[in-house]
Amino acid sequence: MSERRFSVEIKSGNRGIVRIEKYPVYQNEITFLFGESGIGKSIISKALYGLLDQEGLEVSIDGQAYGRHLHDEWTTQVRQNSFFVFQEPSSHLNPLMTIKDQLTEGNLNTGNDSEILSYLWQTESDSAIRKIIDVYPKPYRPSGGEKQRILLAMAFKRINAFLEKRLSDQPTMFVFDEPTGSLDNNYRNLFLQLLFTKYLAHPFTILIITHDYSIISEIYKNYRNILPRIHFKELSRIQEPDVEVHDFSADQYLNWLQAPRPVQGSGITDDMVLQFDPEFRIFGRTLCIYSDKSQTAVKPLSIKRGDMAYLKAPSGVGKTTLAKILMGIYHSESFRMSIGGINITERTSSSLWPEKIWGKRAGMVFQHADEALNLESTVFETFSGLPLKISHTAESLSQVLLELFDGPLSEQFLRKKVAYLSGGQKQRLNLLRTLVLGPQLIILDEPLNGLDFNSVKKVLSMLDEKRSQGSAFLMISHNEEIFDHFIDRENIYYLAEMQS
Amino acid sequence: MKTDRHNPLVSFFSGKDRFWIAVWILVVSLLALWDILFLNGPALKRVATGFVNTFIISVLVVCFTLILGWCVTISLHHLQLKGKRAGYISLTFFINLIRSVPQIVGVLFSYIGIAALVDKGVLHGNLTVFPAMAFCMSIFIFVETVDLMRERIDHFSKLDFYNAMKVCGVSENRIINFDILWKNSRIHIINKLISVFGIAVFLQCSVDFIISVGLSTDVNPVSIPVTLGSLLAKIDSKQDILAIGYTIFHPGYFPRLLFQHLQGITVAFLIVFSLLSINNISNGYAERHRL
Repeated sequence: MSERRFSVEIKSGNRGIVRIEKYPVYQNEITFLFGESGIGKSIISKALYGLLDQEGLEVSIDGQAYGRHLHDEWTTQVRQNSFFVFQEPSSHLNPLMTIKDQLTEGNLNTGNDSEILSYLWQTESDSAIRKIIDVYPKPYRPSGGEKQRILLAMAFKRINAFLEKRLSDQPTMFVFDEPTGSLDNNYRNLFLQLLFTKYLAHPFTILIITHDYSIISEIYKNYRNILPRIHFKELSRIQEPDVEVHDFSADQYLNWLQAPRPVQGSGITDDMVLQFDPEFRIFGRTLCIYSDKSQTAVKPLSIKRGDMAYLKAPSGVGKTTLAKILMGIYHSESFRMSIGGINITERTSSSLWPEKIWGKRAGMVFQHADEALNLESTVFETFSGLPLKISHTAESLSQVLLELFDGPLSEQFLRKKVAYLSGGQKQRLNLLRTLVLGPQLIILDEPLNGLDFNSVKKVLSMLDEKRSQGSAFLMISHNEEIFDHFIDRENIYYLAEMQS
Repeated sequence: MKTDRHNPLVSFFSGKDRFWIAVWILVVSLLALWDILFLNGPALKRVATGFVNTFIISVLVVCFTLILGWCVTISLHHLQLKGKRAGYISLTFFINLIRSVPQIVGVLFSYIGIAALVDKGVLHGNLTVFPAMAFCMSIFIFVETVDLMRERIDHFSKLDFYNAMKVCGVSENRIINFDILWKNSRIHIINKLISVFGIAVFLQCSVDFIISVGLSTDVNPVSIPVTLGSLLAKIDSKQDILAIGYTIFHPGYFPRLLFQHLQGITVAFLIVFSLLSINNISNGYAERHRL
């Protein structure tokens, strides 16, 4: 095993952004890098790959100025032989060029892409592929999942080119930053299968940055043969801006996943918190809630006190839309529900929500903490203005935060701007802001976004405690593996569009 | 070794806005010193009064613009939120009506009203005339702050954080005033107010000049407090300005400009240099905060 370790330090003015000693790159092996968002996974990888925009930053690699690293033989060869798949597919693609042109641009102008596209789209039809590649990647077309697969196709073209050359003595580093964030499990597994097939044909260096812990289960299930060549690593913070990389125990995750969950009844009382009729219309579409994946049995969404329900659907079907209808943010053309004993239909006045529902009968945690929180506020101010009986003091707020944050928490932390928190800290703040209200129903949209494994465990344990105290939850999440284990089968609902 | 970058003083003045504030204060102080030494007493008093009056009125304009802008913005937001279309359309129509009047024309007509009120004794003394002048001017400027505040509210209302706070039961007023306008827009608003200050100085000088040279027969300049604009229009100031032109072809005359034509040159310089400085302060502030 050939391994190269780097020291990376990135500063902006006097403020240290991230500093790490001995960050390992395992040559011709596969590394999965976990860790809470915002901790520095992407920025370190970009710095090593030689892609970091230096404006306003002071970057040093192994104690040397970044310019030297850029002209280093290792970096030059890595950039020549490899590819970097960025986290956000939309910002990676040029909106002024067709996908087809981008697939053959620069050093991608090599080999045939139709085989890769056919595989990633699981279609033999040329016309279906052409529909995708003949368009300009404007914001809503192609979809997020399709854009992600286009980037993966680019990476596979570079992999093919590298495999053809068979330059095993030259360094590579194919970086996949959240490559499956917009893919459902089926497409994610296709990606992994193709990647590992190519890898087995001729090993090269792979770095996959992800929050999707269920990839571990997939690997243990189907790719045990390459486990010796896989490293599961986690980046964690020591003290700002210092971070360290350590082994992530796959067994710990798998054992935790298999551990028996607390027995959930169908609610701790018969008090119905939410009853939502299965069929509803919005934006000209009719959606329906089912009790099974095959969509045979229509079932109203019923949540009692102490229930934890899980709403499943592929991306883009309307899970968040349904949550926003429940919270009165979107106005459905036709629906009927009862929330905390109040009957509501499409004719109900929108003033009902602020008067009787928001923060009292129901609350919602939005998907992206970065967008759901006021980044200019301090941690303390995030909790000011909430409709609580007694306003928080610094001391009482610290107690609340300790439910999800490691203590002790200083006054300085409470005065810290939300913008300066890591992604995981923001997400925990986002969750706590709603949970502290203690409404009857809490809707959680992707509650585990950006969290490291320890935080995932803490959040789930806290939710379970709240549930046992009588709170009711509606979960929306892509972490199917985790929630399938965490939530009773009878409380899982499937959302789908009704075909006219 | 410490570099200049870490010297707090150098670091403080490395911002273009702070640098121009310092330059403006320094230059105006030097000019004041020069005038104290070489300008005759009555003229010095007039220039000082004009300068102070102009800047007091401009500061009042900034305050009124902010208050008016905020009140109208909040009213429009609540009218829209509560679906009161008649009220919303009426207020929008009123704002657009003001928008359609050129600022300089609006202020000129307001001055006619103020002069009339002064003549009738309704307004007397700087304590009432200054706020009246500032209020009239801000009526024709505040629309710009309304546009900015509404733009900021519209932008943030489309983001998740607005809805996320609402569903947590945070009141609409707190979200708009504290989270959007104070926390996320105050830099933009301050930048706009710096521009408003510049507009107020410019409008005052222009309108007072127009009135004082007699382009408007409806206003008696005696009724309006002395400002830099009205001083510039005085015959002795005009002669001083003409002397600058004379110097172009007779360079030997230049030293006399600095001693014998100080009133006009001081007033003209104060207006031009202050407007230039305000412009640079505003640009520098925008650059420093990456607006």
